[in-house]
Amino acid sequence: MNSKKAAVQGQSLGLTCCQTCQNLCPSTDECCNRCGQRIAARDVTSLQKSWALLITAAILLFPANLYPITIMTSQGQVRRDTIFSGINHLIQLDLLPIAIILFTASILVPMLKIVGLGIYLMAISYELPISKKKLMAGFHIIEWIGRWSMLDLFVISITAALVNMGQLLDAKPAPAATAFALVILLTQLAAKVLDTRLLWDRLESKDDRN
Amino acid sequence: MDKDELDKSIVLCRACDLAVRKRALPTGVRALCPRCHTNLYDTPYCSINGMLALCLTALFLYFPANFYPVLELHFLGSVRTTTIIEGAMSVADQGYWIVGIAVLTAAVIAPGLLIASVLAQILIVKYQLNNPFFRDIYKRLLRYHGLLSQLTMLEIYMISIFVSVFQLSDYTDLYFGIGTFCFSVLFVMVIFLQREYDIEHMWSVLDEQ
Repeated sequence: MNSKKAAVQGQSLGLTCCQTCQNLCPSTDECCNRCGQRIAARDVTSLQKSWALLITAAILLFPANLYPITIMTSQGQVRRDTIFSGINHLIQLDLLPIAIILFTASILVPMLKIVGLGIYLMAISYELPISKKKLMAGFHIIEWIGRWSMLDLFVISITAALVNMGQLLDAKPAPAATAFALVILLTQLAAKVLDTRLLWDRLESKDDRN
Repeated sequence: MDKDELDKSIVLCRACDLAVRKRALPTGVRALCPRCHTNLYDTPYCSINGMLALCLTALFLYFPANFYPVLELHFLGSVRTTTIIEGAMSVADQGYWIVGIAVLTAAVIAPGLLIASVLAQILIVKYQLNNPFFRDIYKRLLRYHGLLSQLTMLEIYMISIFVSVFQLSDYTDLYFGIGTFCFSVLFVMVIFLQREYDIEHMWSVLDEQ
């Protein structure tokens, strides 16, 4: 089946791919005959759900970055670090590789994820003329790299458990941690609930080649 | 009739719904969707006995990895240790229970359930597939496998341990314990298990009966 000549979609063949077990089912069926889960040719409501989750995540991104994420006490001196100032501090300590890892995981990835998913959803909602191949490649990257944001939370939990010596040396999480955890959760969910087949339907009529 | 014929030769891309004709693949090659480059299917190297071995090893390592400390900190004569669970609890105790739950789920609960689920699937395939009760359980486990697999973040935790070591080594001395070793091996076992596991193959076992 050559994709350039005719891109035959399952919908026009009266077939649907079960989203749970990827079994091929006739579109007329209610449930997949292999795994028994409900099947739908397209999940149109997923677009709304995805938008809702993404907008919430985008709002939470502000408290996550503006409030301190750790409170560090070292010999009586208390330092409140936001994500960004924490990374800055690491650069001053000459821990550049660690700073780069943390910068990627906790600033770059969440931002890119929200912007990327936003573009993706807008391309579906408003039929923007963006290459579908590029959009899909971006989506795969977002799906894969998104979970790495958890790195920062793991580091906080390890540090908070190890470093608890009162005034001498002490590390505690701060309010931004919850906001940051929610940003990760919501963006991952937004990518997961979205039925990507919607993208390929909507733009099909306009530019076949992309 | 018509439907049976299609079932064998056509696969639909789950991301863009393109109909693609299935072809035999050489080993170690994946088929990608020609339109959106989503993984369509690959040649499964899904050996049940190999997975059983990996699964049992992972199961034995799971407990020491979670109950022995993954990191030790020596500071002015006092020693602090932490396990993964204690790490999650200490964050939750401060009132950040969402963070605590996230850490606990991604590093302890999901990997444990994943190992248990794969072990149960293997045992059912080996011994009890014809029993309708176990068949039902098998289907349920397969349904949740994708979710568990996504929630398992051992590799990220592994990197986090190293990041914390570098961050804290500025203030104090840090030591690895037996838990760190068990956790690293557990992480390797789970990675190989996930490589070996092929969900499509596991589903197709149901069709064969």
